[in-house]
Amino acid sequence: MEANANCASKSPCRVFEFLESSIGKKIMVAAAGILLCGFLVTHLAGNLLMYVGGEAFNRYAEALVSNPLLPLAEAGLVGLFLLHIVLSIRATLANRAARPEGYQVYKGKGARTPGSRTMAVTGILILAFVVIHVATLKYQVGGQKGPDLFAHVLGWFANPWYSIFYVLAVGGVGLHLSHGVQSALQTFGVNHPRYTPALRKAGLAFAILIFLGFASLPVYFGFIHKTADACCATMEGGSK
Amino acid sequence: MNITLKVWRQKNAAAPGALVEYTVSGVVPEMSFLEMLDTLNEQLIAKGEDPLAFDSDCREGICGMCNLMIDGQAHGPDKEATTCQLHMRRYKDGDVVTVEPFRAKGFPLVKDLVVDRSAFDRIQAAGGFVSTHTGGAGEANAILIPHDMAEKAMDAASCIGCGACVAACPNASAMLFVAAKVSQYALLPQGQPEREKRVLAMREAMDKEGFGHCTNEYECEAACPKGIKLSNIARLNREFLRATIVSE
Repeated sequence: MEANANCASKSPCRVFEFLESSIGKKIMVAAAGILLCGFLVTHLAGNLLMYVGGEAFNRYAEALVSNPLLPLAEAGLVGLFLLHIVLSIRATLANRAARPEGYQVYKGKGARTPGSRTMAVTGILILAFVVIHVATLKYQVGGQKGPDLFAHVLGWFANPWYSIFYVLAVGGVGLHLSHGVQSALQTFGVNHPRYTPALRKAGLAFAILIFLGFASLPVYFGFIHKTADACCATMEGGSK
Repeated sequence: MNITLKVWRQKNAAAPGALVEYTVSGVVPEMSFLEMLDTLNEQLIAKGEDPLAFDSDCREGICGMCNLMIDGQAHGPDKEATTCQLHMRRYKDGDVVTVEPFRAKGFPLVKDLVVDRSAFDRIQAAGGFVSTHTGGAGEANAILIPHDMAEKAMDAASCIGCGACVAACPNASAMLFVAAKVSQYALLPQGQPEREKRVLAMREAMDKEGFGHCTNEYECEAACPKGIKLSNIARLNREFLRATIVSE
């Protein structure tokens, strides 16, 4: 109460108090998470151009990197990631501290899901993947160098270990979202007897679609469509 | 029948605790879980040992005093039941049952299975009230309330403050309790004058007591002996966001 009274007239203080509060922290994590889902959708849409062909994919990549606003968007994206991660870590540490002595037997009543149980693990997996993913595919650390991004990506997908790691990591993304999407809605206060069951199913469907969309690329280009020569032959005439 | 219990024994908050094994004889299916513990205590006293400390009061599921973690489940395996409403017909001869206290930083242990839940009282005192005149009771129907709103508020108000939501939550979060208390007033006209002040103050008191964050695991709803719904937590989130923005 006193803190509220002190805070009353100072809006920066109010914002700080909101961010420090257990509920405010959760709302910010959820908001950042939902915005990151938006990024996943656009990223997947771009990636699916690989099925159209190397030329289309490279033209899209070229349009993206030549846009002067890209660094701004990237900075925003990094900011969202940091906000999501830092607040989640702080909440997790506080949650550990909230039960200093654990149970010898802890069973619960079956409300937890595989996704909800593994949020921290899948979160760490996703972070590791993002670092490797950006290093290898954006900054071209390792693999085939050159301006032909499509060939570069195919080069990496030709490495079965890279492709398997990619599928596992986007599996982690799917598992993370299977809890995250519906959880974010609940955190925003969206809970309605008529719509919530459908929204939960929609959240799960979104998680599965994101997983299938991303995982299909290394599976198809790494294991099924193993014709690197064919692809590059069609492309050479196009993009350059 | 005979029941083997693994019970948490701890002299006081500072002393080390451990699970101690006892065999309770003469247990009958009609006994409640607490009556089975009473039987254990009679047998311990007969042997000259220190009886087990555990909480109980009404023993009819309305006071919220009994609070045991039974085989890793708050209030045991039954749905929407308190520990006193759990009966030994749930078990068979020779069963091994682990009994632990509710665990949370906000619920410091007093002795054996008894924890101090006065944190809930402090959260309630921070904002869980309405301003009203003293003196004679007013006319009951002076303020008209639609039936569905009255029912929703009553559903939230049926929370008995037992702490099962905290005990069952992987994060020891008290959100379901606070959500029920905020909701029961937010839904009624009598709760409107303090609407923003209440949710801000109760949230602050909740965090100050050291309870964890809600990560929507929903174990609280599954464990609640009164069936308090998750929609109350969503309402608490909305109320808090709204109060943060609109309160002066």
